[in-house]
Amino acid sequence: MADAHGPSHDGASAHHGSKWPFVAGTGAAVAYAGLVMSPTILGLGLIVFVAGVAGWLRDDLRSPSKASFGTLVAHPGQVKVSARKLATWMFLATEIMFFSAVIGASWALRTRSATWGEPGEVLNVPLTGLNTFILICSSLTMVEALAAIERGDQGKLRVFITATFLLGVVFLSIQGYEYTKLFFEEGLRFTSAPDGIDPLYGATFYIQTGVHGSHVTGGVLAMAYATIKSWKGGFTKEHHEAVELIGLYWHFVDVVWIFLFTIVYLI
Amino acid sequence: MSETAVATHAAGEGPSEHTTKRPYVVVFAILAVVTLVELNVGVFGLPRNLQIGTLIILATVKACLVVAYYMHLRYEPRWLLLIPLGGLALVTVLVVALVGTAGVVPGGSHP
Repeated sequence: MADAHGPSHDGASAHHGSKWPFVAGTGAAVAYAGLVMSPTILGLGLIVFVAGVAGWLRDDLRSPSKASFGTLVAHPGQVKVSARKLATWMFLATEIMFFSAVIGASWALRTRSATWGEPGEVLNVPLTGLNTFILICSSLTMVEALAAIERGDQGKLRVFITATFLLGVVFLSIQGYEYTKLFFEEGLRFTSAPDGIDPLYGATFYIQTGVHGSHVTGGVLAMAYATIKSWKGGFTKEHHEAVELIGLYWHFVDVVWIFLFTIVYLI
Repeated sequence: MSETAVATHAAGEGPSEHTTKRPYVVVFAILAVVTLVELNVGVFGLPRNLQIGTLIILATVKACLVVAYYMHLRYEPRWLLLIPLGGLALVTVLVVALVGTAGVVPGGSHP
């Protein structure tokens, strides 16, 4: 997708000259310091962080989504991957390690327990099966959105990316409904579980599905941004790298769910 | 099943002259069918361990399809695959160690 021969000197986007990433980074650093120092510093840091992200998005909405290939010249036959795509894959590698550690730790706890919940005993497997299907549908609409803008088809890009956003919202809504039922009606809590089931069953369930849900939430926010930009005509046949990168993240979240669904709900 | 034709050009670098068929809808159909099989794997009456193995294999097949076709790793330079595989290799060591400790922890199980 992002293979390119030769450098793209005009690929340096507005990001490289923008002050907003620095502002957002400073805000995040102050907020982290505030976590161990005081709520006031934490609040101040969050305000600066949000302002930085808002300014960055505002700038980005007004500029084309160009791929940046740096200044190195590719040899004949050599392919190059854009800087942002490379960074996205490196980010996804860290995410693989994060999710694998969470799932692995939960599995390790499970292997020590004799009273783990059986499939369908507490969790609503058919409902989550429907949610899995919704996430798979969203992956199809996401990849079709990218295919549409690669053809220069603005109309289908808007339809598919809006559909992806809405499917993400539906997924989160169903997960919210599931949490409400489990927590208040089934008695599956962070430190206790129903029917003599190991109390760690609830803790590992919420940590695994919760970190995934927070990632889906991040993806939905990114999708909302891409949807707004697409309706403003911000992506073109030539410049649409953000659609591809947001798609990479979205599909990764789908892959994580494929394993979570199997391990948490079916096994 | 229809297939989606897209240009195999670089994002942001304009269209190339060659195009290829990418089986997005076919992959979707396979993912949906395999998910249905997963939901109903109990009806086959397999022994517990075989059922777990089958479910893990099916999940791996689904994940590979998404990574290869929807995340386009099948169409990317091979070296890009080393990045996610590197992360996976590192964390595999951690997970094996974590699960392996289950049998050697004093007491064997938590209260």
